[in-house]
Amino acid sequence: MSAARGTALLEVRNLRISFGSLAAVRGADLTIYRGETHCVVGESGCGKSVTALAVMGLLARNGVREADRLAFDGQDLLRLSESQLSRLRGDRMAMIFQEPMTSLNPAYTVGSQMAEVYRRHRGGTRAEALDRAEDLLGKCRVTSPRMRLGQYPHQLSGGLRQRVMIAMALMCDPELLVADEPTTALDVTVQAQILRLLMDLQRDLGLALMLITHDLGVVARMAHRVSVMYAGEVVESAPAEQLFGDPTHPYTRGLLACVPVPGKVRRDQPLGAIPGVVPRIGHRFEGCAFRDRCGQARPDCARTVAWQANGEHGYRCVLPPDWTGPASLAA
Amino acid sequence: MSAPAIELRDLTRHFRVKTGLFGEARHVVAVDGVSFSVPAGGVLGVVGESGCGKSTLARVILGLLPATSGDVLVDGQRLSALDRRARARLIQPVFQDPFSSLNPRRRIRDIVALPLVAQGGIAEAEIRRRVDEGLERVGLDPAMGERLPAQLSGGQRQRVAIARALVLRPRIVICDEPTSALDVSVQAQILNLLAELRRDLGLTYLFISHNLAVVEHVATEVAVMYLGRIVERRPTEALFAAPEHPYTKALLASVLTPEPGLGIPDVGLGDLMPDPANIPPGCRFHPRCPVAVERCRTDPPRPRTGRGIEVECHLATV
Repeated sequence: MSAARGTALLEVRNLRISFGSLAAVRGADLTIYRGETHCVVGESGCGKSVTALAVMGLLARNGVREADRLAFDGQDLLRLSESQLSRLRGDRMAMIFQEPMTSLNPAYTVGSQMAEVYRRHRGGTRAEALDRAEDLLGKCRVTSPRMRLGQYPHQLSGGLRQRVMIAMALMCDPELLVADEPTTALDVTVQAQILRLLMDLQRDLGLALMLITHDLGVVARMAHRVSVMYAGEVVESAPAEQLFGDPTHPYTRGLLACVPVPGKVRRDQPLGAIPGVVPRIGHRFEGCAFRDRCGQARPDCARTVAWQANGEHGYRCVLPPDWTGPASLAA
Repeated sequence: MSAPAIELRDLTRHFRVKTGLFGEARHVVAVDGVSFSVPAGGVLGVVGESGCGKSTLARVILGLLPATSGDVLVDGQRLSALDRRARARLIQPVFQDPFSSLNPRRRIRDIVALPLVAQGGIAEAEIRRRVDEGLERVGLDPAMGERLPAQLSGGQRQRVAIARALVLRPRIVICDEPTSALDVSVQAQILNLLAELRRDLGLTYLFISHNLAVVEHVATEVAVMYLGRIVERRPTEALFAAPEHPYTKALLASVLTPEPGLGIPDVGLGDLMPDPANIPPGCRFHPRCPVAVERCRTDPPRPRTGRGIEVECHLATV
């Protein structure tokens, strides 16, 4: 599934995000290429959602964002003023959320919200904007799109709201679409339909899609490239086939062993489980943050752990790439 | 053969829901004529989308909601004939959200002790002993009993909920989405714990989940629920190997296993979400069914059985 690699659209180097004294992200690197789906996966509190918000410049007021580099299409996002940023946001980069009502205003019709986004960035008449909205609703497989333009968000089902939100994000032909758990609240059958839609749109429009999720099944089916986050750091990053075929970081291996797979995981055997709990945000770490849950931990894990890279596959761990773990983890 | 741990006979539960001040009352059919039995020591997984009635089913079986009609038998006894204390000794719940199912102002020790205290007549030392034992059994240090729920992680809280459910040594536990609010790594710990407890204590579970991969892993038998009815019920392996009902097929197709390169399946169900206040005539699944024929629009299918399959579909092969 590896698409021809485009050029880097979003570059994130050593991103740090803190809220007061709490460090939510402690040095994350990400590169998102044009025309590629990049999944950021991790458990609650790993920093995946705040990373997305930081990219969009949407952190809460008390959030502090620092980075060695944060660039969109070569443009330094850290130096943009709020007004320059808001010209970019909704236009060349757009975001969708788990809860569609985060981006939809209950007091306005679907049509007027979609038209507003377009006219603010592109100008033109209301009629032109509504035509484009209708066209995009159709592309997002919303039935009777013309009628939907006159409806209010509360008149739509959850799956339809999700489609409307996606269509609205696409109004200005963004190059980067950031999607934060877009299907987590949906039923499985609707989830599959929305993901299929996102996958088709990504391919047909050549979008760079940054997909934030906790669901390894979604990652495997959607991603060209995957970054695994743990406790505010990217601990492994690789093209999807390599990450699932040859996971290297003990956390990635552990996470994969935790997931029941019908027909693949023996039902009379316990699932692989990572002992301990997901660390809370703001915990102070020295060395590898995963070491107190890791079966492979050794004394040098307490020191700063370097990033090891082999081609496109990199990970932050002291172990060699070909380490063999206990069967329960390497399953 | 002893009596089944749980037996439902034509169980029905309706609600009248008023929408708005002058809105007309709507008649919501949450559970509509459900019959099944779960043998002692078995795990019946109940799957279905939101609004299919699976949580209402759990509440009726727990005695938290009365049935509109039909019977629930627990361990061979009519649930409606048992008082609350007797019911609590037989059947206990574990709910989805360990953040809202534990009283935030009470110590863990008191939360776990509550079912024992409610029984009355149990000496304090005995309660203390059983709470300690219960916490240890779910993998918690009894010293944790002195803490408040807010001081625990999600997984630890769910362990507390399980300890509370087991402290009266019930035979049956109703698990309603017990791991849905948990992180993946913690979910696996809780599923392993539930499996271990079932083996060691001979428990029977009714395991409700929207996650089919999880149900496949824990259940011995699976019931697929759609708009208040069980549309297919079979042993787990057979159901996953060769689903019979078109809805079961669609549900299984939408399971995204972590296997790269397979893409996203076309579930083929369309956008029309089911509405329990407006159940279609004929087969209630027909508006979304990719293989519906004329007869499905008018003629409600009756349950058919054969080859260990129980299915409600005109096109079934049994």
